[in-house]
Amino acid sequence: MIFLLMAYALIFLVNVPGLVKRKERKELVVFFILYIIGFVLGLMYALDIPIPSPMKGLQYLISDKLGLKYPQH
Amino acid sequence: MILYKKIYVFILCFIMLVALSGCLGGREINDLEIVIGMGIDKDKDTGDILLTAQIVNEKEAGGASGEGGGGGGKAYWNVNSIGKSIFDAARQITHKTGNRLFVSHNQVVIFGHDVAAEGLQKHIDFFLRAHEMRPTTLILVAEGRASDIMDAKPETERFPAMNITKLVKTYGFTSHLYKVNMKDFATCLMSGTSATFAPLVTVSQDRENKDVFVPGMAVFKNGKMVGKLSHDEVRGVLWVLGKVESGVVIVPSPDGKGKAVLEIVNAKSKVKPEIKDGRIIFHIKIEEELSLSEQTTRENLATVPGFGKVQEAAGKVVRQEIMAAFERSKELRLDIFGFGEMLHKKYKNEWKIMEHNWDDIYPTIELDIHVDSRIVSNDLLRRPASPDEGGE
Amino acid sequence: MGTDKGKINGRQLLFMFAGFIQGSALLIDFTVGITEHQTWMVILAGLIVTIPFILSYAALAKRFPGNDLVRINDMVYGRFIGKALSLYYIFFLSMTLSFNILDVGELYVNFLMPDTPFFFLLSVFAAVIAYAVYKGIEALAKVSHLFVATSLFVIITTSVLLADQMDFSRFLPLFELPFIKLLQGIHIMSIIPFGETIAFLMIMEHMNDTKGPARYSFFGVLVGAASLLIVSVRNTAVLGRTQTIWTSPSFQSIRLIDIGTVLTRMDFLIGIAQTMLIFFKCSIFLYALTTALSQLFGLKSYKPLVLPVVGIEVIIAATVFQSPVDHAEITQNAGIIYSAPLIYLFPPLTLLIAKIRGLPKTERSRGK
Repeated sequence: MIFLLMAYALIFLVNVPGLVKRKERKELVVFFILYIIGFVLGLMYALDIPIPSPMKGLQYLISDKLGLKYPQH
Repeated sequence: MILYKKIYVFILCFIMLVALSGCLGGREINDLEIVIGMGIDKDKDTGDILLTAQIVNEKEAGGASGEGGGGGGKAYWNVNSIGKSIFDAARQITHKTGNRLFVSHNQVVIFGHDVAAEGLQKHIDFFLRAHEMRPTTLILVAEGRASDIMDAKPETERFPAMNITKLVKTYGFTSHLYKVNMKDFATCLMSGTSATFAPLVTVSQDRENKDVFVPGMAVFKNGKMVGKLSHDEVRGVLWVLGKVESGVVIVPSPDGKGKAVLEIVNAKSKVKPEIKDGRIIFHIKIEEELSLSEQTTRENLATVPGFGKVQEAAGKVVRQEIMAAFERSKELRLDIFGFGEMLHKKYKNEWKIMEHNWDDIYPTIELDIHVDSRIVSNDLLRRPASPDEGGE
Repeated sequence: MGTDKGKINGRQLLFMFAGFIQGSALLIDFTVGITEHQTWMVILAGLIVTIPFILSYAALAKRFPGNDLVRINDMVYGRFIGKALSLYYIFFLSMTLSFNILDVGELYVNFLMPDTPFFFLLSVFAAVIAYAVYKGIEALAKVSHLFVATSLFVIITTSVLLADQMDFSRFLPLFELPFIKLLQGIHIMSIIPFGETIAFLMIMEHMNDTKGPARYSFFGVLVGAASLLIVSVRNTAVLGRTQTIWTSPSFQSIRLIDIGTVLTRMDFLIGIAQTMLIFFKCSIFLYALTTALSQLFGLKSYKPLVLPVVGIEVIIAATVFQSPVDHAEITQNAGIIYSAPLIYLFPPLTLLIAKIRGLPKTERSRGK
């Protein structure tokens, strides 16, 4: 948990001052979107909240619904 | 800006300190219980697994280099523990040792006779799956209890386990046994038809000395020990597999008055399976090179006709050993040569049908054996130390 | 022009391709469960099947010099479909990157440092690749030949040291397995190692070579495929039947090296080589992913995105699969199916459409 907070604090410090100084708005926006997603995910991980896995979703779609899979042996 | 950089560097260093300061899996050497041999038996009372682990006792082993035989004490320590499975027993050993066993240096695993008769399939899994076990570990079967074998203090080695390892690794001197490691054992277990074998080991009491030796090999069917092979039968198998390295072949001398003793220098084998008219024939061709190491008769055998006769006799001995092994395998209904697998590789379609009743088909195999022996040297004597008889 | 001003030359590209494919050596270990002793055939078949597609990537890069995949998609398909397609690629890149990070974690947890907490391992590794990518593609290109040389050394030495334990009759019978298994094996082999080189479409724009990337990518792929082949042959010859039961046949075969009681316990070699290679592979993926994202949003530089993306990737890597069994089942089925269009369908299609529409208009004077 502490590790998570420190890592994200670090990421913030490394990137944000430079971006703000150079007034790169678009970069800042995209950065923050990704940053928040990462932070939320990290928080969920640290708090043991289950995170839905995209591959599970894909597996459901492709293997179960469409039946496109190789026979198990 | 400079303040930001300072904070950033500070946090970075802190994170690195925490994240990179060595791995948690590290164990100090003093804390390791280095296992060099393991024995598995069935506990007499409860029927659970009795695990005997031979641990190196560094205090004793490190110091004196083997002199002061009685005084210094044993350089090893046999710990045992009882558990419901091998992994369980291994962990329970920590009740006695206070540290997990470090099995990376384990040289040999000995299975007690009762465990082997019951079936090794269920015990092998642990040895293959565990992180620290190596597939090069040797397997042996004790004729009695494994714990007795582990206790037999050898004369020239400090540890019984190392002694046993040496015994097996130097199989080439006689070719009367064969070295089997975990990987080989697993391969045979995975093959539905081939029988597995492993060296046997016994302790014999000889007045006060306990001698550890290998009397032959045990053969397994589906992991259960079903029989034993004697030295000659083992060599018969090894001739066919091409694994004979050296050994002694004794042949009656042509004049009938003594023996010619030959040392095997080299041996090669070529096996070709053939299915003809519904019969399965294996063409086995053995090429061996021998040297005349000892002769007990006074007649000089180192002549062209003499050699010729001795070579022929030697070829007969090889054939006898192979046939003896084959007959024994037929008796036990076990494919110890791996003939099934050889057929599989060449005739995969026929094999699919034959695989299922291989046990019944096996005894019907015919062997077509050709032995080609050559005596390549007669060591240091040109003729034996005996008076000239007749002309030379 | 891309935001990274670095330049790479042809030979570096060759080594990058080779190292990238060699990095998949441990990944293909699991196909042994499917293709057993015929894995070498499957590698060859996968190579032959995928080479034309890889050449189509190179052709695209040559046709649109200085432009990467996202830009090409925009140009050929128009802004909306192009961006949608790029998103599909980005999804693929991010998933594959997380699998690779996960693989490093599993390598360490299973074999080398079993007690270290998984998450720390992943984070440390992620930090390293983030740093590498930050430095730019030129830095990666300059070290690529070292990685390739080291891993070739390891592969060849271990094979030589195991020569006495090899038994080539273990390759027989030659055509035993049912075709469907071979097909699955070829599919896996074609997409992982070879097909994933599509990530290079984000890199080839930096080439300063006018001859185009085709010949370098081709030879790089050959070197990589040869390495994989040697590994597979070594494993099958040494382990035979038991190959299918081990989690990692490569590891176990190296553990069997036992020469003169000195050359034993060489598994660390594979740890070193594999770590380097997966690091390389992940760096390339991360670079491709962040540059693609930055192009998609029209940003000036990919650099600010590196760290947040890597943070997300680590969490995905830690949570995407519930167990190794899950991992194997998904990657061998759904995983290779959803990525198939990206590798087989779209690059040639893009090339075709570009040819028909006479793109790019600035370079070629023929219009439609």
